[in-house]
Amino acid sequence: MIEAAFPLLGAAFVVLVVLPAFALLAKAGLLMLERDEAGGPLHGLKLRYVLLTGSSVLPLAWLLSAGLHQAETGKSVLACLLDHDTAERCFEPGFFALVLAVAVLAASLRVIRKHRAARSSSSSASSALAIRVECIVASDAALACLRRRVVVTEDEGFALGTHGWIQPRVFIGTTFAARLSDAMLASALAHEAEHVRALDPLRYLVLQIALAVNPFGRFLLSPHVAHWQAAREAHCDREAVIHGAAPLPLAEAIIRAARPSDREAVALGARDTAILKFRIGMLLAFAERTPTRCCHQGPSTLAVAFVLLLITLFMPHQTGTAALDMLHTGAEHALTYFWR
Amino acid sequence: MTFRLRSGKKGLELRLHDLEATIMDVVWSKKFASFAVGDVLAILEQRRDIAYTTVMTTVTRLYEKGILERQRDGKRYLYSPKFTREEFMESTAREVLDEAVGGHQAMVRLAEKVSEASAGELDDLEALIQKRREELEA
Repeated sequence: MIEAAFPLLGAAFVVLVVLPAFALLAKAGLLMLERDEAGGPLHGLKLRYVLLTGSSVLPLAWLLSAGLHQAETGKSVLACLLDHDTAERCFEPGFFALVLAVAVLAASLRVIRKHRAARSSSSSASSALAIRVECIVASDAALACLRRRVVVTEDEGFALGTHGWIQPRVFIGTTFAARLSDAMLASALAHEAEHVRALDPLRYLVLQIALAVNPFGRFLLSPHVAHWQAAREAHCDREAVIHGAAPLPLAEAIIRAARPSDREAVALGARDTAILKFRIGMLLAFAERTPTRCCHQGPSTLAVAFVLLLITLFMPHQTGTAALDMLHTGAEHALTYFWR
Repeated sequence: MTFRLRSGKKGLELRLHDLEATIMDVVWSKKFASFAVGDVLAILEQRRDIAYTTVMTTVTRLYEKGILERQRDGKRYLYSPKFTREEFMESTAREVLDEAVGGHQAMVRLAEKVSEASAGELDDLEALIQKRREELEA
């Protein structure tokens, strides 16, 4: 038996068993939340997001932290079946953490490489649109967060979307904008402003990475991810109307963004006709009565997720790493059994 | 209150049959607090030929589905909507989302629907918006 046994077997066990098990638990929670009739389909968006991402991120964070902690203290030598001779320390949990870190890094890079923002343009048509957008943004206090954050693009088929993880920017296609009235454009920008305010591109990136590192568990969560994303787009519609956007022009802008000629995948989230109908129906109702927030907003999701991550990283140093020892011993026992 | 979603339909017709949706559209558009079958019939007759009994049967069905309430007023019933249009659409929302993305089968359909997002369907939705705009301006 070699020292690479536990790092490789342990990482495989995590991917094949631990993460899918957490995905199953998260699925149970998500099903309960989605079946809760109180508050409507936009209820519990933040908790649903924490469950979707946390089911992968939190166990991995704990295992990484525990592996490093054991490598640092050398306590794992007691759990290890390998004879380390006179060495006082067993570095296998450290290597295990390293394998997990490399896997997470590889998955993250794969996701990040898929993200490409549209290219900015400086033609005369783009400049005219940029001036038009500037005027609209300057005249509406609710769009203040978009000042100097709207980029005009002439990429074919691009309608409207938000890109950028730390400082999100709104990209708008010249062809799409030419088909919108000022009222439609202002309402569509108000929808994107909500994505900017909530750092949605970062939120979506973390979610995609969380799913990428859980290749088997993500099949359990995929329907809930689609559900969450649809509800999130509808939430941005509602927030835009609450901030003063006109519902009917927003509905028209969404339909024009969904026209087959505009195939930009994330434009206003209008990817599916059933969801499109739901969003349009909601906006038609909002035209009669301005919506109110249906539930307590609670603290920011990203802040809560960050605090949870810190607690998880800190836990192995305080509460011990018995679970990692079990994984360590179990993996080596299994290998010994099959090695015979 | 649960309804079967009707595929290929939109708006009210997602959960209601055509005439049911038309009647509810009249009730909400005219902002009827309470109405008799004859009130709806008078408006529908301006658009098409329709029998009193057809309207009465449909209104009764809406009452049985829990969308309308009724109380006796002499020999007739007076009906009133239990929900505003917004409340009804909100309650439809969850079912539409479940229908669209709830489950593996639905995920496959989700991809199909992207390619089936026909211009005609989008035209219909735009017409719906225009109609609502005219109603609100009237």
